[in-house]
Amino acid sequence: MARHLKFVVALGVMLLLGLMVSAEQRFPPPDFENGYVLPSASTPPARQFWLQYADAGVLLACLAVAVFLLYKKRSRRGLFWLSLFSLAYFGFYRKGCVCVIGSPQNVVYGLFNPQYAVPATVLIFCFAPIVVALFAGRAFCAGVCPQGALQDFMLIKPVSVPLWLEQALGVIPFVFLGAGLICAGTGTGFLICRYDPFVPFFRLSGGLFILAAGAVFLLAGMFVGRPYCRFLCPYGGLLRLASLASKWRVRVTPAVCTQCRLCEKSCPFGAMREPAPAQTNPTGLAAERKRLGWLLVLLPALVLAGAWAGAKLSPAAAQLDPNVALAERYLRQQSHPAQYGLMTPEALSLQRASENPAPILQSAAEARRRYDTACRLFGGWIGLILGVKLIALSLRSSRTDYEPDRGACFACARCFSACPDERVRLGQIL
Amino acid sequence: MNASPVYRALVLTAWVAGVFCALLCGVLAYEHFAAATNDPWKSPQLLALKDKLAAEPKNEAAQKEIRQLDLQFRRQFRRRLALDKTGAWLLAAGVVVLALAAGRAVTLKKPLPLPQPKTGGGEQSVRLASRARWSLAGVGLVIAGSLLVVRLGNTSYLPASQAGWQKLLAPSAPQEAPVEDVPALAEFQANWPRFRGWDGSGMSLSGSNAVAGVLWQSAIPAPGHSSPVVWGDRVFISGGTVARREVFCYNAATGALLWQRPLENVPGSPPKVAEVPEDTGYAASTMATDGRHVYAIFANGDLGAFNFDGTVAWTKYLGPWKNPYGYATSLAVWGSNLLIQLDQGDARPAGSKLLSLQGASGRVLWERDRPVPASWATPIVIEAAGKTQIITLANPWVISYALAGGNELWRAQLLENEVVPSPVLAGGYVLLLSPSTSLMALRPDGAGDVTKTCVVWTNEENVPDISSPVSNGELAFTVTSGGMVTCVGVGDGKKVWEKQLDMEVQASPGLMGGRLFVLGEHGPLAMLQAGRKPDDLGRIALADRFVASPAFAGGHVFLRGMTNLYCLGPAAAKSAKQP
Repeated sequence: MARHLKFVVALGVMLLLGLMVSAEQRFPPPDFENGYVLPSASTPPARQFWLQYADAGVLLACLAVAVFLLYKKRSRRGLFWLSLFSLAYFGFYRKGCVCVIGSPQNVVYGLFNPQYAVPATVLIFCFAPIVVALFAGRAFCAGVCPQGALQDFMLIKPVSVPLWLEQALGVIPFVFLGAGLICAGTGTGFLICRYDPFVPFFRLSGGLFILAAGAVFLLAGMFVGRPYCRFLCPYGGLLRLASLASKWRVRVTPAVCTQCRLCEKSCPFGAMREPAPAQTNPTGLAAERKRLGWLLVLLPALVLAGAWAGAKLSPAAAQLDPNVALAERYLRQQSHPAQYGLMTPEALSLQRASENPAPILQSAAEARRRYDTACRLFGGWIGLILGVKLIALSLRSSRTDYEPDRGACFACARCFSACPDERVRLGQIL
Repeated sequence: MNASPVYRALVLTAWVAGVFCALLCGVLAYEHFAAATNDPWKSPQLLALKDKLAAEPKNEAAQKEIRQLDLQFRRQFRRRLALDKTGAWLLAAGVVVLALAAGRAVTLKKPLPLPQPKTGGGEQSVRLASRARWSLAGVGLVIAGSLLVVRLGNTSYLPASQAGWQKLLAPSAPQEAPVEDVPALAEFQANWPRFRGWDGSGMSLSGSNAVAGVLWQSAIPAPGHSSPVVWGDRVFISGGTVARREVFCYNAATGALLWQRPLENVPGSPPKVAEVPEDTGYAASTMATDGRHVYAIFANGDLGAFNFDGTVAWTKYLGPWKNPYGYATSLAVWGSNLLIQLDQGDARPAGSKLLSLQGASGRVLWERDRPVPASWATPIVIEAAGKTQIITLANPWVISYALAGGNELWRAQLLENEVVPSPVLAGGYVLLLSPSTSLMALRPDGAGDVTKTCVVWTNEENVPDISSPVSNGELAFTVTSGGMVTCVGVGDGKKVWEKQLDMEVQASPGLMGGRLFVLGEHGPLAMLQAGRKPDDLGRIALADRFVASPAFAGGHVFLRGMTNLYCLGPAAAKSAKQP
């Protein structure tokens, strides 16, 4: 029966996504022959100023409520309703914009493009969840993130991902974060927003590829809790780092852990950690120290190797920039001519490029220089996160109780009810 | 184990929600694909009404019908959008119920935790860390491999070094932007820059000497039916086979072949050249020149511009074309514009187009869809009613377009059969032939559908099916394939005289120095007085087959035979037979 249920759920979600694909249709403008000229399309006006601050206010209020529910009330139900509200407000009402996950790109874009001033509300969206995470862990993920809420809602029968795999895949969000910030810094575009798989659902419209990606995440999310949050979300990476230094942390038990182990499988996101003795095998310490030493030496080498590889990647990555792409197409056309439709956008852009290629080539040269630096940084960043993660995996941590991993814990409060002391506190057990 | 009623209810709810979602999706998908296949913009009803309105711009009933139809389509579209939106929300509700019910059912069946005894926690964490390090190394390799694949799969044409950039950017600073360097009108008139002369009329404004015989003849290396074009001391013709399409440049004074250049490596042109009927061949379209470049188009769809030294300026592939006899319409030039009439197919929508290109760069300035099937007539450009008009012929429409922008100015439904003869401007009228049916004179000053108002006169005697008319402004001359020459008055269309020549004729006649030149398919070149009496002014015997029309420049006549290019003029008189 459970198998049938999965099938039915999967079918429903896929059909829903299929409908959204069909929402991409346009009606052609009428062919006026009496000289009437259609007014040119204009960018919709920005959201009113006070409404932008209202959005920021709602975010701050939600964060405060999440912290309150998490630490004071220890209420899973409260967090559930809060996440539903966030899904409705930040997701379907605000259509995923301004999005906390994408906001670091605005900040980086503003840093490298003097003509762009980062709005104060975007700064609030970018930094408020991080500041909260420094004190209270990932309260934002717990009840404020609409993307997380959507996945959380679809979670039906979680299966556990091996911890060693979880640890390894945990570096991918940092790679995505690096790529997104590089694209924003070079002015190419907001990669993280473009490839956010859930925003098309909020908008009931989107490209086929991204809808398919969203479908994959939602389908996977029925059995693997929050796959996007765990293995791709770049902002989640930042929150993970901030949470490691958080002042307060989520505790399964409200009292003293009796190590009854009833909570060890209560986390659907693989964040629960077993108690670990400080020193189990003294004979292996020397080898571990030696490994750690080598890894510390390896770290700068990895960074340098990454920077070198990034430089090699730069010509390919630079083609994300539209001017570089046009310049490449223009030069390719010179040496290996290709045929385009007479009045297609490709042909028209090539025509314009052919008429006066100098500005396009000049712009491409500047973009390539930017990308050269950016790709070195990106490569170095990948080397750094791999090296640091290797070092982190070579350090011993001691733990006396069952407790959630600070960085990995979404603070969803699911584990609370697994603890008998919590049930006593709630009056469910006498 | 018997399931509880709650569990059964939840499972049932999940199934109902799933089936509901499936049905809703099916309905919406059907609606969507049905709408996608019925594009309102391509509605036959709307297209027919638009045609009707184009033909009768002041037809208010048609305008009203179009507006109503447009409104109807928009309402349908809005309805569909509303349906999609409602359906999306209903589906969302269905998915919510599905997820809630399924999730709750799974929770009810979830076993209670029953931890088993555990040993070796410390060693386990060491093993776990080791495995995690290796898997992290694996992830690192996958990332590196992915980036490597991206790098290797990418070819950059931009320079890799600073020196390369400097080299690339340095010469492009004062880039040679195509300069609109257009010769004066007098230069066009003094030459023979396109099919049937500078204005397509077939009449030369230069030269009044008697043509006495062949001055020189030169072999043509490739077959073709295109006519010569002449600019200054150069004669250009095209020729080609399935293997190779070429342009040939001859010295107009000596006949020496100055250069020959193949048109090859045209971007997008398929390596396997499309087959065309043998009778037409690949080089039936006459070239054109604006004195700066010479343009050639071939039946496989290749178009090229050559500099006068034979180097290729630019190329374009415009094919493939659907033409039952092969593409044969000639190119036209006007100032810096290169005009290409690409009529094709046998039913609407056939993909017929009229293109205007910037000659210097090959840039498409505009293109207009044409509601006609394949035709073989060449457009002419005229100055009339204060506008520069492009006159095009194809069954059944004569359509005039504005040279600037390509907007349609007027159209008349006058033509029948397969339209091969090209129009000419004479005495303020456009003279044109509906093949084998009638010779007509049109006033080119209307707007919209002028079918009932533009025709000044019609003459149905001895109407040719292939060759185009020619006129000196007062008299117009036509030649049938059987050699019947007919002269009519341009003002009233009445026959002035007719004369049977004992020759078969495919080439269009020409006028130079008051003489009418009629070229027989197997010779000779007959010369008649272009006046109210058909005085015979002589014949020049030629041993070749002639399908291309004669070109006139500098008092000379240039003929393209099957094997040779001929220049006829006053100096040599060996082969002339005086009457």
